[in-house]
Amino acid sequence: MTLSHDPWVWIAAILTLAIFSFLYRENPFYRIAEHLYVGLANGYAITFYWHRILMPYLIDPVGHNPNILTKIWLVSIAIIGALYFTRFIPKISWLVRIPIAILLGYGCGASIPRALDAEIIQQVRATIVTRSHLAHWDTALWAILILVGVIATISYFFFSAERKGVLKPISYVGIVFIMVGFGASFGYTVMARISLFIGRLQFLLGDWLGLIK
Amino acid sequence: MEFWKKLQAIDRRWVYLVIWLVVMIPLIFPFKIKPVASPPVQSLFTYIDTLPENKGVIISVDYTPDSQAELQPMLVALLRHAFVIHRPVGVLAMALQGLGIGEDALRQVTAEINSHARTSADSVLNGRDYVYWGWTTPPITVMLGMGQRITKVFPVDYYGQKTESLPVMKRMKNYDDAGILVSVAASSFPLYWINLAQTQFGIHLGAGITAVSAADFYPYVNSGQFSGMLAGMKGAAEYEELLEQSMVKRGMDWKLRRKGTEAMSSQAAAHLAIIAFIIIGNIAFFATRRRKS
Repeated sequence: MTLSHDPWVWIAAILTLAIFSFLYRENPFYRIAEHLYVGLANGYAITFYWHRILMPYLIDPVGHNPNILTKIWLVSIAIIGALYFTRFIPKISWLVRIPIAILLGYGCGASIPRALDAEIIQQVRATIVTRSHLAHWDTALWAILILVGVIATISYFFFSAERKGVLKPISYVGIVFIMVGFGASFGYTVMARISLFIGRLQFLLGDWLGLIK
Repeated sequence: MEFWKKLQAIDRRWVYLVIWLVVMIPLIFPFKIKPVASPPVQSLFTYIDTLPENKGVIISVDYTPDSQAELQPMLVALLRHAFVIHRPVGVLAMALQGLGIGEDALRQVTAEINSHARTSADSVLNGRDYVYWGWTTPPITVMLGMGQRITKVFPVDYYGQKTESLPVMKRMKNYDDAGILVSVAASSFPLYWINLAQTQFGIHLGAGITAVSAADFYPYVNSGQFSGMLAGMKGAAEYEELLEQSMVKRGMDWKLRRKGTEAMSSQAAAHLAIIAFIIIGNIAFFATRRRKS
């Protein structure tokens, strides 16, 4: 066992233990660590935005670019962006809609057509059973299972008709697929949470206490 | 009866303590587990391993330190692989707090490779063999802009060097020069990469994701939109295993540290404990219910 001599490792280890102390009960050590994390993350983000975004893309060009039109363009964009802060002034808070509208318009225009293709057309295409799927029994089985699963699950969420007749058994099959999906998600969630805990223990036992390599 | 009742009302802190011990003991006294690659991991590995020589690898660090435990082993393994097969590598961060993580991984892997290099050609150098573009915003502009000209999106790299002046950028002008882009993510960034970069420019994508989001991304592996996927720490361990086998075959038996694989014995023990908890909990529930009726 060789304890770390690095003060930063000690700080990280103490903060990790402070966060873990919440498992026992809420306490001031946990609160300190939590607030420190939020403060650090925000401080880091703000300074980074300042040095890597505002300085090179706005302040430097406005200060040094000889082209007056570029300056006007950049300042106008900055003013539109600054309208986000009008939320804090109730009388003119409606102005916040301008940058939101621009951002929404740009975002939707750029993403909706592509999302339609990527998330609907390509996914529907992936449910089609083709001749190549039927070449082997295993690929055929998976392809048919996916097709049945998609149809049954969509049927379960079909609320425009009463669930009787043919819709009833199909939607029940849909429930089975949904439950399998939930089970898989839960299993993966357990794995994820344990992984995060393992990561911290690797740090505490390895980097800090030197118990493992 | 009393026993089952007491068991159902057990303080959750005892459960935490058991999990703590179950995870900690195998870390100190590990038992050997040999990961077997699942099809999505195998296909991503094979895809990268067989990339044409003129194609580069882009890796996007789309996660923050809170998911580092799961995703860092993936990032390290992917970087090792790209450098071992001598492909130009470009790394960027979509998550601002991922910047330091990306730099850490690059520093670690380049040091490993360079410590074993015998010639200049074997080593990996910043600007010649790889570039760390860093972070810029907004993501939509980055993802679309990189398809046209990467140097326009990132005029300077993370270290402040002009990207136009870097030799590696002559081999990485835009997505056409990249054989694959792998998004190592703890959020829905891989989906944005599909929507924006793949749909528009047709770039091949891979994903390294947290286990929590694995079930959400499997449909994209099935549809072929992802060339492969690493899900959680288990995915990282499987990739590490494939990479080590491949490196041994290439005469690079370096015995590099495999953090994902090291965690697998704890992971397995914790899963067994949780399965036991679920079974005991259900027995207690049904036993007390039967008595009531």
